[in-house]
Amino acid sequence: MENESIPNTALGGRMRRPTTVIPLGKRLLPAIVAIALLFPLLFAHTAPAADLSLFSRTYLRYYERESAGGKEDTFAPLYEYLSADATNLGGMPVAFHFYGWGRADLGEETGTGRTSGDIGSLYLEYLHPQGNAQAKLGRFFLTEGAAMETIDGAFAKATTPLGLGVSVYGGAPVEDSILNGTREGSALYGGRVFFAQSGFVELGVSYLKENGTFQRGKDRELYGGDLWLRVAPSVDLTAQAVYNRSVREMASQRYAVRIVPGATFDISAGYESYTYKGLFQSTLNPAFVFPALDNNDEVRTIFGIVDWAFVPGWTLEVAGKHIRHDKSDPGDANRGEVGLRHTYNDKKDVAGLSAAFVAADRDENEYREVRGFATYSPSKIRLALDALTQRYQKEIHGKKNTYQVVASAGYQVLAALQLSGDLVYTQSPNYSKDYAGLLRATLELGTTTGGKK
Amino acid sequence: MTRRMPFPAVFGAVLIALLFGCSAVSQTPSVPPKHPEDLPQGRVDCLECHENVSAGALKPYGTIRHSRVFIDSHGTYARQGQNLCASCHAPAFCQTCHARKEEMKPNTKMGDRPDRMAPHRGDYLITHRIDGRLDPGSCFRCHGNKNDVRCRQCHK
Repeated sequence: MENESIPNTALGGRMRRPTTVIPLGKRLLPAIVAIALLFPLLFAHTAPAADLSLFSRTYLRYYERESAGGKEDTFAPLYEYLSADATNLGGMPVAFHFYGWGRADLGEETGTGRTSGDIGSLYLEYLHPQGNAQAKLGRFFLTEGAAMETIDGAFAKATTPLGLGVSVYGGAPVEDSILNGTREGSALYGGRVFFAQSGFVELGVSYLKENGTFQRGKDRELYGGDLWLRVAPSVDLTAQAVYNRSVREMASQRYAVRIVPGATFDISAGYESYTYKGLFQSTLNPAFVFPALDNNDEVRTIFGIVDWAFVPGWTLEVAGKHIRHDKSDPGDANRGEVGLRHTYNDKKDVAGLSAAFVAADRDENEYREVRGFATYSPSKIRLALDALTQRYQKEIHGKKNTYQVVASAGYQVLAALQLSGDLVYTQSPNYSKDYAGLLRATLELGTTTGGKK
Repeated sequence: MTRRMPFPAVFGAVLIALLFGCSAVSQTPSVPPKHPEDLPQGRVDCLECHENVSAGALKPYGTIRHSRVFIDSHGTYARQGQNLCASCHAPAFCQTCHARKEEMKPNTKMGDRPDRMAPHRGDYLITHRIDGRLDPGSCFRCHGNKNDVRCRQCHK
């Protein structure tokens, strides 16, 4: 059947392939990155006025794995995570942020080439002194209404004296596809209109569109609504709903009531639901499409959480969740959890003990979990121990239990440099007896004090 | 023949009208770009120093207190603005978990910080089968279309 939408050429024949059009977002990407990188140079002469901070974490992991042929392979990936922030550039409310990582394999290849890496953030930011007005340009992680994205692009937000505010964003989505036949989106844009009154309410409606050929060959187009409302002293209502117009389904909803009567007690309960068709429509991972799961399923959850600091330094945490599926496979489940945390040594150290269970319609979905951890930081030394065990109701690879113990020891060599090492022991359905090691060097440099971690 | 005006055009027009119609930005002081004092590591309780409502974030400090309740629902608050988060947390903090192409599990990176709420403890390659069957939406947030490279080894 001929495609009527393909026009005739000047010679009268039909074009076999339409011209490839590079999406706007992708075309703008090099320019955006170049601007974000070069813009700080404008302020180079005022560098002493800027607040600079550099945070580096270097990890060397070591572990052995048995390959399919029975051969023991040794892996030693070396990772560098680097974060740099320059604020107050030129004495103005302009900041530059960078975060990225790289990996080089010193042993066998760890699976995605001998080297790898990614830039998580690289952007310029303007923070206006009033009204929380702001702008970003470059690559950044954005949460705004219906959006929870990393984009190469721009973002701007402002609030008016009436409490009405707007935000807009646009660019190229930073995504990865492992789903055959479906590529990453080519452009993403949207915005949010909101009303906020101090200490009483924030209500927003939002819109997001991502151009692409996702499930059913469609773009992703979302309408969102969000609400925070203080209905009584210490009582908050929150709501968040997203409608996927591309498939005409509610993608997700979450409604909760939270009571925070003081600094020691916090309780919340609510309802959450999502449809696979609506939420997973834009997936780029085969784990979220048929046949890995039934795209007609819907999940409805009722949840409750309590956090109670019943004595200074001691906190009790209790959480429960009822998960209900429309489909008998995977069936319904209940998850419960209770935990106790103790903070000591001038709040530098924490110890905790927790137990959790999942009771489900189907045996293969049931397990229990117990975890205990403690840290101890005398002077320049820091020690940590973390032990976890899980027991599955139904055997997995002939085993019912998992054990993992992580022991960590560190030393503050200099004010800005800490060295530490972890030893991890795992016994599970995957591993009969596995040891893994990690060395960590943490370097933190800054020209000012203040919170940025 | 009448043409329906596309929604983005309407939305854009509303935004422009709001911005220029109101013509001024609120004079309420913004959240400072950086918390002026060093903060201790671990869960922060804003109420130890602050009272009432954050002038910038327009929410009571009690709401932002980093209890287990807040941590479990932090996304709800972050979707209404990241300014207050960014005052204390660098972008790297969010992207320890919300990342693309990440290879190390958060709890592996933070083996020295067992007090942190880091997902995927233990041999999560096993447990994710159960959690993923029961509540795949919780996986989707990070692994739906960004941090999925490692999933490829099995999910093809």
